Amino acid sequence: MRRRGWVDALFIFPCALAFVMVIICPFVIGIYYSMTDWNGVNPVISWVGLTNFQGMFSQPQFIYSFLITLLYTGINIVFVNLVGFLLSLLATSKVRMRNLYRAGFFVPNLIGGIVLGYIWQFLFNNVIYSVGSSLGIGFLSSSLISKPGTVIWAMSFVNTWQYAGYIMMIYVAAIQSISESIMEAASVDGASYTTRIRKILVPMMANAFTITIFLTLTTSFKQFDLNFSLTNGGPALRFMGKAIRSSQLLAMDIYSTANGLNRMAEAQAKAVVFFVILVVFSLVQVYINKRREVEA
Amino acid sequence: MKKLLSILIVTLMLVGVVSAASADVAIDVFQLKVEIDPMLQDFVQLYSSMTEGVTVTAETLGGGADYGGAIKAKLAADQMPVIYMIEGAGGYDLWKDYIADMSSCAWVADTDLAYYSPEGVPVGFPIAMEGFGLGYNADVLAAADIDPATLTTLSAVKAAFEKLDGMKAELGLDSVVSCGTSTSGGLWWVTSQHVFNAYYAGYLDYNDSSVYTDARAGVMDEERLTAFANYLDMLYQYSDPEILVNGNYDAQVAAFAAGKTAFITQGNWIDPNMAQLGAEFKMGYISHCYLEEPTQGLFMAAPSWFVVNSQATEEQQAAAFAFLDFMAMTDEGANYMVTEAGMVPAFKSVSLLPSGQFSKALVEASARGGNYNWYFGQNPDGFNQYTLAPIFELLAVDGDVDAFIADVTAAFVSIAE
Repeated sequence: MRRRGWVDALFIFPCALAFVMVIICPFVIGIYYSMTDWNGVNPVISWVGLTNFQGMFSQPQFIYSFLITLLYTGINIVFVNLVGFLLSLLATSKVRMRNLYRAGFFVPNLIGGIVLGYIWQFLFNNVIYSVGSSLGIGFLSSSLISKPGTVIWAMSFVNTWQYAGYIMMIYVAAIQSISESIMEAASVDGASYTTRIRKILVPMMANAFTITIFLTLTTSFKQFDLNFSLTNGGPALRFMGKAIRSSQLLAMDIYSTANGLNRMAEAQAKAVVFFVILVVFSLVQVYINKRREVEA
Repeated sequence: MKKLLSILIVTLMLVGVVSAASADVAIDVFQLKVEIDPMLQDFVQLYSSMTEGVTVTAETLGGGADYGGAIKAKLAADQMPVIYMIEGAGGYDLWKDYIADMSSCAWVADTDLAYYSPEGVPVGFPIAMEGFGLGYNADVLAAADIDPATLTTLSAVKAAFEKLDGMKAELGLDSVVSCGTSTSGGLWWVTSQHVFNAYYAGYLDYNDSSVYTDARAGVMDEERLTAFANYLDMLYQYSDPEILVNGNYDAQVAAFAAGKTAFITQGNWIDPNMAQLGAEFKMGYISHCYLEEPTQGLFMAAPSWFVVNSQATEEQQAAAFAFLDFMAMTDEGANYMVTEAGMVPAFKSVSLLPSGQFSKALVEASARGGNYNWYFGQNPDGFNQYTLAPIFELLAVDGDVDAFIADVTAAFVSIAE
């Protein structure tokens, strides 16, 4: 049967239209706005070229937000995947009630980020702090989200708690798709449990790692809701001689610039930079991970 | 089935025609004071039922939610409200193309607190009068044998703090002051806006904006700023550190309401919270005394203003003006503002008195005179929250007064016009 180009086009049209309207158009308009002085309200908009892009790299807050986002993303990639992987081993082992574990580990992921942030704020500021100070544990005797040194770790902890269950599900699916016979053959050959995991399970799951690392990288980099409700950017810290907010990740910095400072165009410029960086990081990550994937 | 559907459609169309025929003017109010939302809902319903042909609806978004962002979203969605709120010069500058002239309204002559555009045109309807100072628990002070009327100078306040601090166990106090400055707890505005307003306005005539104007030109009064910084540091030192750097509004207010602190850095808007928390002790205000010159003045102004969208239709604008006049000038309006919502009225013709103790203290101070204006609302958008607040929070953490003075000075230099 001869393929007809216009028929294909017609079928694609509804999707393509939606994609163009909600992704492509705002994207192009956004790049345009990033080179103006728009404040979000004023109908008079003038062209300023690349001023917004030059200004942002001299702001201590933006630089710090950038660095802390990289750190936060790095911590999350390690912890979320490590915990998710260990949980998936547990949930695919012969342990009793493993289905209950699977569901249980996944549940935190069903709670919205805003709600979760408020719950953990209460836990950090009241519960953990009270337990810590009554037991005389030094580093818990003040709230973990009140110190610039610990706040990012506290946020990563909550994110891991929320997200590891989801990542676990992907690993569980990957483990289940590996043929039992390979593992059995290995154990007959005398490979220990850890050797089997290291030499067989992990290489066979490489495609799952590509996905999970991609997901943790992009979601951590774009983190906003948890940041907003758990710390709101606090506590304060001195950086490059200026008092700034020590847990304001990039997405929140963009939001603050747009809605707090009413500098919509500058926020848009930051968003463009943010987009480019995220694309570069994700492409590099996917490229590296793809090379490690093997066929069974 | 088909028949049923066509009947349904025809009915819907008829309903549409009928409701269009009655030609109601619909105006919507979009506001940010969560605590008065139920009262305002009742009030707009009352007004709609009393006024033929006008329907007023009210929507509230506040309590830390992003009101400014929400109006922008409404504008982008072409749902710009007819009546909305601004909180000062930052808001005025942003929205000036959407703000109508209200000089034709009757309420303008009845208040000193209207918002005037730089051209001198009245454009903002004052929601209420609000005020703050350093709130005290009179029972605790009495138990420590301190007369609040004597707390008018820095040294008197300092002596009282020391005395109370030494009697904490005896008086059942956790700390002398309940103060919060944390960004994560959402209390950044307490110090960087309200307490710091004592620098802009304290010890000056109500209409004397010289210190503030100088600051905006990048010139700080060094002596005054140093005295203020030391005073702030003292407030911090006598505060519960957990509330100071982590606490939220509830924690700060609850500590005071439970009699765990002798003072609180909050305004009269905490009256409803005091009632909810069952705080029955006597309370009142002293000033923020950071100099030796005696003062009892409190910091009083309108916190926000209703403005009318000048891009709304003529009918909607006229209906909005009439609605605001009704709120200011009638007994129903006074009943809503004062009795129901518990606010201190901004209008001279209203003679009702609010029931809250802090609000009463404001009314008394207003009669006594010698009070101070608010200027923090005139700072550029986001300056208080993103530039000053981290500086104020940092002082709570490291107690470095010199760095604080240098930071505040640099911050004002950076925005000098």
